[in-house]
Amino acid sequence: MEEIRCERLSFCYPDREEDALREVSFSLSAASFTVLCGRSGCGKSTLLRHLKASMTPYGDRRGEVLYRGTPVDRLDLRTAACAIGFVQQDPDAQLVTDKVWHELAFGLENLGLPTPEIRRRVAEMASFFGIQDWFHRDVYALSGGQKQLLNLAAVMAMQPQVLVLDEPTSQLDPIAASEFLATLAKINRELGTTVFLSEHRLEEAFPLADRVMVMEGGRIAAFDTPQAVSAQLSRAGQAHPMYLGLPAAVRICAGVQPQGPCPVTVREGRLWLDGLFPQGVSRPALPEGDTAPPPPAEPALTLENVWFRYRRGEDEVVRGLSLTVRRGEWYCLLGGNGAGKSTALKLIAGLLKPNRGRVKVADGLALGVLPQNPQALFTELSAEEELFDALADLPGTDRARREGVEEMLALLELTDRRAAHPYDLSGGEQQRLALGKILLRQPQILLLDEPTKGLDPFFKASLAKLLKSLLARGLTLFMVSHDIEFCAEYGDTCALFFDGCIASQDPPRRFFGGNSFYTTSANRMSRHLFAEAVTCQDVITLCAMNLTANSSGPESGAPSSPPPSSFC
Amino acid sequence: MRAPPREGGFARCHPLVTFAYFAALVVTSVFSLHPLLLGLTFCSALLYALLQRGAAALRLALLFLLPAVVLTALINPLFNHRGATVLFYLADNPMTAEAFLYGLATGVLMGGILLWFSCMGPLFRSDKVVYLFGRVSPALSLTLSICLRFVPLLKARFGEVSMGQRCLGRGGQGGPLSRLRVFGRELSILLSWSLEAAIATSDSMEARGYGLKGRTSFHTFRFTRQDGALLGLIGGLFAAACTGIFSGAWEVAFYPKIAVPPASPLFVCSAAAYGALLLLPPLIDWKGERQWKRSAVSD
Repeated sequence: MEEIRCERLSFCYPDREEDALREVSFSLSAASFTVLCGRSGCGKSTLLRHLKASMTPYGDRRGEVLYRGTPVDRLDLRTAACAIGFVQQDPDAQLVTDKVWHELAFGLENLGLPTPEIRRRVAEMASFFGIQDWFHRDVYALSGGQKQLLNLAAVMAMQPQVLVLDEPTSQLDPIAASEFLATLAKINRELGTTVFLSEHRLEEAFPLADRVMVMEGGRIAAFDTPQAVSAQLSRAGQAHPMYLGLPAAVRICAGVQPQGPCPVTVREGRLWLDGLFPQGVSRPALPEGDTAPPPPAEPALTLENVWFRYRRGEDEVVRGLSLTVRRGEWYCLLGGNGAGKSTALKLIAGLLKPNRGRVKVADGLALGVLPQNPQALFTELSAEEELFDALADLPGTDRARREGVEEMLALLELTDRRAAHPYDLSGGEQQRLALGKILLRQPQILLLDEPTKGLDPFFKASLAKLLKSLLARGLTLFMVSHDIEFCAEYGDTCALFFDGCIASQDPPRRFFGGNSFYTTSANRMSRHLFAEAVTCQDVITLCAMNLTANSSGPESGAPSSPPPSSFC
Repeated sequence: MRAPPREGGFARCHPLVTFAYFAALVVTSVFSLHPLLLGLTFCSALLYALLQRGAAALRLALLFLLPAVVLTALINPLFNHRGATVLFYLADNPMTAEAFLYGLATGVLMGGILLWFSCMGPLFRSDKVVYLFGRVSPALSLTLSICLRFVPLLKARFGEVSMGQRCLGRGGQGGPLSRLRVFGRELSILLSWSLEAAIATSDSMEARGYGLKGRTSFHTFRFTRQDGALLGLIGGLFAAACTGIFSGAWEVAFYPKIAVPPASPLFVCSAAAYGALLLLPPLIDWKGERQWKRSAVSD
């Protein structure tokens, strides 16, 4: 049965010339699970908001969205509120009341249900979602993942037929995100609710989906099963704009052998590799020269046996932490949620004082800190003024300031967005603007707290490019992150923060090559064949080397072709 | 984090019972200037506070209440010269024993009532207050709930904003003027951030049908038979205490000479009822504790 039908939907925001949606037509069948993907700004959110009458943006609209044959804006208000549930990005902003139980009941109160009925439905939902343990808590005391689960449960309590989710995991850490997506799969599987989800974490979302919809510039570029979409995108190879966002197995397949069926999960990828090399591989490791020895630079930042706890009588969050960050190095501190990584960063930044031990910054080096939420820095009405504001209390002539701001706008690639209000910028642009504000203060060491949170894969790549160019100028980077793939790809040194100190520390290849769970998908998929292949590009290079070695015979020892230019 | 106050059986009562109890208590205690009743009010308050919070309650009583009691006792004779027993003259003004005792009595009464109020906090958790408001006006109770949600949220955001300003190397140091400027800036960031986030909140409310006709007000409380019985008991004790008040049996004359009326049967009965009312919460808690321990042993 057809649940949602979209007919030639076009939409244009007021004061914009280009349409945000162009003649979008599709239908979702009942109980299906559809993943919507595409770059930021391709019209995903605009499309999703059209499915819910109360959230439809204001502007010029043509075409229609039908729920079971009725246009959504002509549904009666009660049905419209119940039948289609909507979950947004920000876990905090969606919560309305102060108690978990009240949040669950909020929608049902609005429907005017009597107390016994609400009690029953709330009990059901709390049990289904495993919320009973924190049922009486204040919502502010919950973690981000719990908040987002609560938002989902509060919508589900209204028993919607269709669930629409707009990047619900973008603010969550990887573990909470997996949990959220697993719950979503359970809802779809056990309740038969139709799910329409926009998501950047395709690694995890692809295996859950029946159908994948790819959007580009306000149009639907592909709408098919995950395998078919993967195969279609693989044929376009690395040139396709969606490439960076695809699951590792798809990317590796695209880089090695873009014909035939395409693996999607790590498990399928592993089997696919086995099929590719039935006799095993002759060259399991990358050529030596590829792993550069650590640069023998002098230390920029040293921590010596640092201890810290927030209050007396509590457990220490940081317990005897010692580390050294060298000049010009990109240092990544990885670790689980609530492990104290952000606390360590605040200690280095001098925002907190250690109870014991020392934090030493090399003479003459200034620190800059990029906070997790870029909004916490914005005061002005335009991007340009934000940058001028950073210079406001520093010495310098007006002309020097103007030049500095121009240069920074160019570096951030924000020159054509200079007049935009900071809040109107996309997540990635906000991140870059905040970074620019910090950089204008001329730090030599930059501390970053979860800089990739909420960014799509393209913005991540452009952020990495920007940070690399800063490294080339002699900046030192210290980054706290959950993002394994990002650190593996770009970091110079990765360290695992556990139990208040560093559990292991190595260059990315050795670091992730030595782990078996806490590592990249590419590594998990290929570790039975290749040693220390951590990124997709590593695996692609090794596959290519072995394929040529196999075809030219085992003894020929073909000179290893230079690896293709680093792309993924 | 400090351990939350222990929740006794009385804290688990229906909010209407808690509310009725404190209303009855406040109304009757105001009339208890009789030394016996005063002692009852103060001692029971101290007992309950000790049971709730342990030694921390004693600190409040000694550091804050004791000086207040002494102060009222000393100040009253300075302004009030009624009374027959002159102790001495201060700048030609008679200082009388009656005025001193009256000050002492009102001081103790005030201290007792304040202590009782300090015990109310843990009993009136925010959801109980929201529920009670909901009985009067559902819209008001939702507003209250939203406010209770926003206070910690804004506090957390403000912390983040001020951290952000320190990341830019601002705030923390400098004179009062520059600190004030930084504070103003932080406030403005907080405001624009929160307004932006409020759009998502209102979307989320509307998406869940806020604004439909006939909104109800849900709560997690159940009015059990025990609650009914307790409410009846409180009503009975309150009525008995009131007969004492209205018949004048509780009246004590301080001026010109202290005259405590002889203990009539009516006084004895009403005072006993008042005492029972005061000891109700500790008794209920004690009973709950005993039951809990027994059930734990039999497990």
